Amino acid sequence: MVAWLPLLLAPLPVLGALDKTHGVRPDLLARYAPQGSTWKCLDGSKEIAWSAVNDDYCDCPDGSDEPGTSACPNSSFYCRNAGHIGSSILSSRVNDGLCEPECCDGSDEKPGVCPNVCDEVGKEYRKKRDAERKMQKTGSKIRSTYIAYAHKEKTRLEGLIAELEKEVATREAEVARLREIAEHAESLSAADIEHKQKSPLYQSLLTHHTALKSLQREHKKHLEREKALGEVLDSLRTGYNPNYQDMAVLEAVRGWETLAGLPHINDVRKDESEGAGDAAAEGQVQEAEELEEGIWDAAKIEKELDKLLKEDHTSLLLQHDKHIDAPGPSILFDLSSYVPDSIRPEFEAFRDIVVSWLAAFGLAKPVDVSGSADFARQELSDSEHSLKLTENELKEARVDFGDIFDPKGFGPEGEWKKLDGLCLSKDTGDYTYEICLFDEAKQKPNKGGSNFSLGKFTSWDTQQEPGTPAYYHKQRYTLGAKCWNGPQRSVELVLECGIENALLSVAELEKCEYQITGTTPALCTPPTDDDATGKDEL
Amino acid sequence: MRSPNFSLLLLLLSPAFTAALKTGDWKTCATSGFCRRGRALSARAEEAGSSWHSPYSLDPASVSIAPADAAFTASVRSSIHPDAKFGLDVRVHEDGVVRVRMDEVDGLRKHYDEAASWSLIEEPSISHDVQWTVGKKDVRAKFGANEVSVQFSPLKVTLFRDGHEEVVLNGRGLMHMEHFRTKEGTAVPEVAEADDGAQKPLQVNAAAWFEGEEQDAWWEETWSTWTDSKPKGPESLSLDINFPNHGNVYGIPQHATRLSLPATTGPDAEYTEPYRLFNADVFEYLPDSPMSLYGSIPLMHAHSAKSTVAVFNSIGSDTWIDVKYPKKGSTQTHWISESGILDVFLLPGPTPEKVFEQYARLTGAPVLPPAWALAYHQCRWNYVSSDDVRGVQERFDESDIPVDVFWLDIEYAEGHKYFMWDQKTFPDPVEMIQDVEALERKMVVIIDPHLKRDSNFPAYQLASESEVLVKPKSGEGEYEGWCWPGSSSWVDFFNPGAWDYWKSLFQLSPRADGKWSWTESTAKVGIWNDMNEPSIFNGPEISMPRDSIHYGGWEHRDVHNINGMLFTNHTYQAAALRADPPLRPFVLTRSFYAGSQRFGAMWTGDNLGTWEHMAVGLKMVLANGLGGMSFAGSDVGGFFGNPDAEMLVRWYGVGIFNPFFRAHAHIDTKRREPYLLDEPYRSILRDMIRLRYAMLPVWYTAFHEASVTGMPVLRPQYTVFPKDEAGFAIDDQFYVGASGLLVKPVTEKGATEASVYLAEDQVYYNYFTHEAYRGSARGKHVTLPAALHEIPVLIRGGSIVPTRERFRRSSPLMKADPFTLRVALGADGAAQGRLYLDDGETYAHERGELVWRGFSASMDKKGKGRTLRIASEDLASRDPRGAVERGALGAYEARNAFAGAVEPVRVEKLVVLGLGARPTSVRVEGADGGELEWEYVAGVGADGKKEGKAGVLTVKDPAVSVARDWAVVVKM
Repeated sequence: MVAWLPLLLAPLPVLGALDKTHGVRPDLLARYAPQGSTWKCLDGSKEIAWSAVNDDYCDCPDGSDEPGTSACPNSSFYCRNAGHIGSSILSSRVNDGLCEPECCDGSDEKPGVCPNVCDEVGKEYRKKRDAERKMQKTGSKIRSTYIAYAHKEKTRLEGLIAELEKEVATREAEVARLREIAEHAESLSAADIEHKQKSPLYQSLLTHHTALKSLQREHKKHLEREKALGEVLDSLRTGYNPNYQDMAVLEAVRGWETLAGLPHINDVRKDESEGAGDAAAEGQVQEAEELEEGIWDAAKIEKELDKLLKEDHTSLLLQHDKHIDAPGPSILFDLSSYVPDSIRPEFEAFRDIVVSWLAAFGLAKPVDVSGSADFARQELSDSEHSLKLTENELKEARVDFGDIFDPKGFGPEGEWKKLDGLCLSKDTGDYTYEICLFDEAKQKPNKGGSNFSLGKFTSWDTQQEPGTPAYYHKQRYTLGAKCWNGPQRSVELVLECGIENALLSVAELEKCEYQITGTTPALCTPPTDDDATGKDEL
Repeated sequence: MRSPNFSLLLLLLSPAFTAALKTGDWKTCATSGFCRRGRALSARAEEAGSSWHSPYSLDPASVSIAPADAAFTASVRSSIHPDAKFGLDVRVHEDGVVRVRMDEVDGLRKHYDEAASWSLIEEPSISHDVQWTVGKKDVRAKFGANEVSVQFSPLKVTLFRDGHEEVVLNGRGLMHMEHFRTKEGTAVPEVAEADDGAQKPLQVNAAAWFEGEEQDAWWEETWSTWTDSKPKGPESLSLDINFPNHGNVYGIPQHATRLSLPATTGPDAEYTEPYRLFNADVFEYLPDSPMSLYGSIPLMHAHSAKSTVAVFNSIGSDTWIDVKYPKKGSTQTHWISESGILDVFLLPGPTPEKVFEQYARLTGAPVLPPAWALAYHQCRWNYVSSDDVRGVQERFDESDIPVDVFWLDIEYAEGHKYFMWDQKTFPDPVEMIQDVEALERKMVVIIDPHLKRDSNFPAYQLASESEVLVKPKSGEGEYEGWCWPGSSSWVDFFNPGAWDYWKSLFQLSPRADGKWSWTESTAKVGIWNDMNEPSIFNGPEISMPRDSIHYGGWEHRDVHNINGMLFTNHTYQAAALRADPPLRPFVLTRSFYAGSQRFGAMWTGDNLGTWEHMAVGLKMVLANGLGGMSFAGSDVGGFFGNPDAEMLVRWYGVGIFNPFFRAHAHIDTKRREPYLLDEPYRSILRDMIRLRYAMLPVWYTAFHEASVTGMPVLRPQYTVFPKDEAGFAIDDQFYVGASGLLVKPVTEKGATEASVYLAEDQVYYNYFTHEAYRGSARGKHVTLPAALHEIPVLIRGGSIVPTRERFRRSSPLMKADPFTLRVALGADGAAQGRLYLDDGETYAHERGELVWRGFSASMDKKGKGRTLRIASEDLASRDPRGAVERGALGAYEARNAFAGAVEPVRVEKLVVLGLGARPTSVRVEGADGGELEWEYVAGVGADGKKEGKAGVLTVKDPAVSVARDWAVVVKM
């Protein structure tokens, strides 16, 4: 109950006039002085009576005449907070009946409303700040080991790159030499092979090959499609919320479970104690299909088909000829099997020359040479493959080398290199979330069911300038598994300085978009002197 | 909130999955047995033409007139069923409302006769003055300009005004109350083989000309995969209600259609289906359709330039209404209901105000909500954790955008067991609520009516123990259906035993009997009642089977449309009991019925983020207001979809002028809280939300008036200018209460200007630019700028609009802030306005703890100069009965404690619009202070014909109290 004031037909008593500099920021204090009896708004737009400053009525378009009241919107109020740190609050907080934590001196409300608690707040603040500084210090020490690691990595990669460059050079020479041999062998036999390839048998073989290849492609497409459908249905089964129930969804889930021989997901969820093991095992029980004799099963099809399709038909053609015509291979052609590998190319080159001479004199059939041409081609291709592998290795090493100190990669000081691939996880009850840094984020159900990819590492915080500290406080993992009625899953990993690499919280703020928070020493920079002295005495 | 009828097939086949209304989920008249019968009856009548006559007649000898009251009873017979007996009861209430009631007498069973009892606030008092006179052909009674006649044969009830027919019941002879019969007694006549081999029916069906030959869906009805057992057989009610002299009908919310209802039959029919009243959770409803939606109010206004009347057809079952305009200026309607008695109230008007008053007297005026409930509500399915809630609050505060309420949708509840916080995500619910309440904000938490059938869930377990759950058709055990939590049961709020059970759940302190109650909450937490149609995922039409059994053995079909209101009613009562002295609760409901206005707010359900839905939402809010549900709004932004920035901005432009202003979004949408938008959109939204806060005094005053008079908060054009025919169909602009604010929100993409209709010869001022526009008595359209950041808002000349223009984080933090008065001078140089204030949260206003002021401005020409006097007077002292709901205040004490508390609150600024001449002096009358500070910007005056920028006088800080009498005198 509020005591009644006597009714008077009169204006309200004027409130105790406010100090003209109440709420003025220290750097603006000098500008709050009258020029005669008037005063100019800070933006110069208007001249008003000095008495109109802080009179709880907004005169200036820029709101500068009411630094100490709430009369002007979108302006700010400064509390001095003697004994602690001065602070600015929005004018909408002034005289609203609430004591702002930012104004420990209580100056944001009329006198007597808010106590001055700056002593305690200051003490508390310093305590907290000291703890923070301590953590920062420890964290930054760890961080410097990360940087050292990056430098070591740099050296290691430099060595590796040099080594790989050498190896590439060696292999390139080898490839060049083998190519010469192969081309030579092929030029000898090309015309002959061309003739033989016109054989109907060969042509039919080619058609078979094309047919098989097409079938295999179709088969694979179907398998992939089935797998994709299975995945969609799996994620429907495990991911659908029975509470958003639609009977059509339930039917689809049950239908899939019957088809795939899975137990009903609700039963799986119910029997937590039995765990997912049983469910998974049950799911794997598949009836062995009865097959007609000689008919391949799926595994054999896959293996044999690949083999068949890899078959070199030209060499088959030649083998076939040999099988039909020749009494047996001459030792000349078989010799290569007895030649040690190390000198085989040389031997074969020599042999080819001999054979070509013999053929020229009609003493040997050049036909058989093509077997050797094929062999040479194989040698070349193997060698090319090795070269490619080494080249890739080199490329990777170079990329890694570049990433270490790339602002968009492991940071300008390479401080993140150490964490490359480090897996952190957080158990939230229903799920465990795992992020392997710079790689992939995953959601693993604790009660069984399949894992979902929440996305692969894509970038740092693209809203920020690369290289700035703010840039490294967020990582984006995108293009994870698709939600059954939503987008592909993604993660925003929000990091701050901490002495451990750890995940703190997980929240699905929007459907299938996860915000995960965590700490890492990689973000801890040594506390600056500025922080140390602070502005407490202001 | 939503029902998840996703189509898996669509999902798999179409990457751009666009869901839409599944029409197969809903009956049409043709697939609903009783509606089919009703329309067939109407078709037979049409075909018969003038030879058609109603089989019902009143036995003149049975007329029995009550000795002291304006009531009579009589027997009614039907020529097609001579054995069936009916009783008619007609009475005239004190305010001239005529109630016509007819029920079967001595029938095999009882028709449901309790619908009105749930709607009416009390048994209406019958007039002692009006006299019935029995004549040869009819019984008549005259009152004022009205007369009501009950014709004997055929039975016909007519309400006249000045000799003209206003409302006619059974004028087309379509009235039919299907009496109860036995299946055996009405078996279809067997066709017997006669001796001569010829086939002939054993008997002739004497009722066939009226009822049809077939027993169409009398005893059982299968629709889709559900079979309705219909143990009571046919019991439907058909009634034609005609308005021979009214060319526009409004009301019967809620439908996504225009305010002036398009025809469903006849030559200009725009729809093929009748309007349907059947509370239903319609997934992705259409923005232009007569389909039923979440709530049903069987109240229809009929309007002409001469008068406004209304009918309230108090029925709770599935009801279809055909509307036909046989000729210009005339309306026929046909109401077809599945069950219940005939219980119709004729509201004689003759003005919109009178109709609102008469309807409020029957079903109650909208309850005065807590003041904070008129501020901005931020909702989403879902804020996922207590930290999420805190984070959202922080972001609002960083952006300096005011917000009063944060909402929690179903995901707060572990396993969708409402009340039960999910400990993983909401480990500290009370602390979270307190963190929100520390800034004088509130939280609203959803409590749905379906209870998970889980013996560890106290709300279910206690209901099960006390046997207050709805029963299946067998009448034994508990009805079980499927909803968010999976297998669920529903509390039967028709059972009085459920009422105490429900109240006890909300008790904040641990219960004496050791039973569970929701102690993890606070007294200020608001409650959101969703899914109360009820929505049942595996039920027919996503609802409860009609043969399910409620208290007293009534079937669900009898009470379906009332069901949702009872849930809200008892939630409201339970929530009110949490604090002592009690706090006004806030309850939001999706389903509603006549009377729901007494329990809080409603919203238009799960709209889509489209321009069409934005536009129709406004029309729905206006229509709901006619039905008493003034506290209404549509989800800002659209529930489904991701609106682009332009649409979202426009939607806020609509939202800040909805009585209930809440942003909400589906779980699949992107977050779209206003602070997330880029500039300039974010600042536009901030300014719009701030405008709502500045205008809160206008809104609260309008709600106060609604709570006393029943007048809607948003007033459609025809209610303000009932004689201007050009305005009868206007439903895209409206007035806010009696404030004089005329608003036309933009609901079109790419708009840059808006055309506003002015129905009178008066000056209107652009609220923002002070541009003066001149209307015309013949009606005139004026064009207002409407760029994205602009909302077409006009102040009607002659209005004084009180605002509070300091922006706080939440509305209660504005309570000590000063007022600004915009004095918009009318063409005659005068203006009026009102302001109602109370503590905004308790019931102390009912004891007179309030301030109710009238502001006025008047121009005097004395001698040479002119004088404008702007004054504030105490309305509450002058009209204490008008100060609180239902005239409960006998006398007003101006020195009440609340008035004392707001005594220091001043008027900080007067803005006088339309002052044509520069003042020479501005002073507070009678005060010894000197000249006030003021500023004058020259421009056009209120009088005259000139358009252009109005002359504006701004008076700085007159330092007068908002709670006291004062006057400011402007001399020119």
